[in-house]
Amino acid sequence: LPAGLSQWFPALEVLDVSGTGLAEMGAELLSLPCLHTLLAKNNRLGGPGSLPKGLGQAPLARSLRVLNLSGNRFAEVPPALLQLRGLRSLSLGGNRLHSIPPDIQELRSLEFLYLGGNFITSIPPELAKLPSLKYLVLCDNKIQSIPPQLAQLHSLRSLSLHNNLLTYLPREILNLVHLEELSLRGNPLVVRFVRDLTYNPPSLQELAGRTIKTRNVPYAPSDLPETLVRYLSLASNCPNPKCGGVYFDSCVRQIKFVDFCGKYRLPLMHYLCSPECSSPFSSASQSSTSQSSTSQSESDSEDEASVAAHRMQKVLLG
Amino acid sequence: FRYTRNLVDSGNGKFNLMILCWGEGHGSSIHDHTDSHCFMKILQGNLKETLFEWPEKKGNGEMTRKSERVLRENQCAYINDSIGLHRVENISHTETAVSLHLYSPPFDTCNTFDQRTGHKHKVTMTFYSQYGERTVC
Repeated sequence: LPAGLSQWFPALEVLDVSGTGLAEMGAELLSLPCLHTLLAKNNRLGGPGSLPKGLGQAPLARSLRVLNLSGNRFAEVPPALLQLRGLRSLSLGGNRLHSIPPDIQELRSLEFLYLGGNFITSIPPELAKLPSLKYLVLCDNKIQSIPPQLAQLHSLRSLSLHNNLLTYLPREILNLVHLEELSLRGNPLVVRFVRDLTYNPPSLQELAGRTIKTRNVPYAPSDLPETLVRYLSLASNCPNPKCGGVYFDSCVRQIKFVDFCGKYRLPLMHYLCSPECSSPFSSASQSSTSQSSTSQSESDSEDEASVAAHRMQKVLLG
Repeated sequence: FRYTRNLVDSGNGKFNLMILCWGEGHGSSIHDHTDSHCFMKILQGNLKETLFEWPEKKGNGEMTRKSERVLRENQCAYINDSIGLHRVENISHTETAVSLHLYSPPFDTCNTFDQRTGHKHKVTMTFYSQYGERTVC
């Protein structure tokens, strides 16, 4: 960037240096107090010095709203970027990212996040802590699973997941009430019912933990070692509405298909606390004694799932 | 949040002329053209067109890809139902794309196809804007 930029153009609001071969952006950026949009796509940024030191303390950290760094050579999200607290729109599409840093949650004002066309293999659950995120693009990556916590993105309206390595989705995805668009094509989504995946019987620690939780056995931090107190806080509730149990590490994973508005059948992963728990969902269970109760609970869960599925208006499987 | 269809002219009912604006990564579903002629010209950026065979009557397998090509600025393409089905996408993660489409006769419903199974579903197509005015639905 030319030296003296901020002296010549102190009121600069939009700076577009895309397609200029830029390899680093230096201190010239730091003294532009009015800059709200910085477009630097298709350059040679990605190495050290791509972003100036001291970015977090500069006026830019609060004024910058839109940052486009797509088509560069970033192999990781530069930590300095996470100090841009006012950022509403961030694009790092078409770079060389292999992961998303958990500290992405620092970008509290983020509404638009484009990370398509990278080499990302997993999504950190911390991404779900972005309260204003409306538009999330993760297409054309190497993502194998979606963390169920992503369902906490209450503002999410559009989620782009096409061309990844997903075989199923977490059932919690049905909780994204405002989601209007979901793209899933080009994923190896399972199309047939998948038999129960390997179930490791619970350890004694797990069984003790379950008992404490389901029977509400009182305990205080002084009663237990800190590791066990933390362990007990990680209990997950069994989604089977007829169960009410909890599980820690040992759970049955089962894929259940949900019809979206009669159009597409999506495989959703259910975590249940035991194989007995899963039998109401399994279409293969044919116990004659529990025939009526099986179909009752199966239709209950089908109803709950299809109501949620109807909320998603435009599922783009293509 | 997805590509927009903007009607420019309806030629006294004989055709629909529209401009499609594609954001980075935006793509269409696989669709047919309801017995109409469809001409497409790239005004800006690039669009990838993937041609598919019509699925078998009671098809229940992955749809067959015939060919694919990237259409550059100013290039034109044509398709109708006897040629096959297609998916159009902006595969760029850095550039937007704009295309001009002419459909004759005009149509407002078509079928979209699930690539994994060949199942089709009739949809009504809507406009983001008409003659420069935002269409509210």
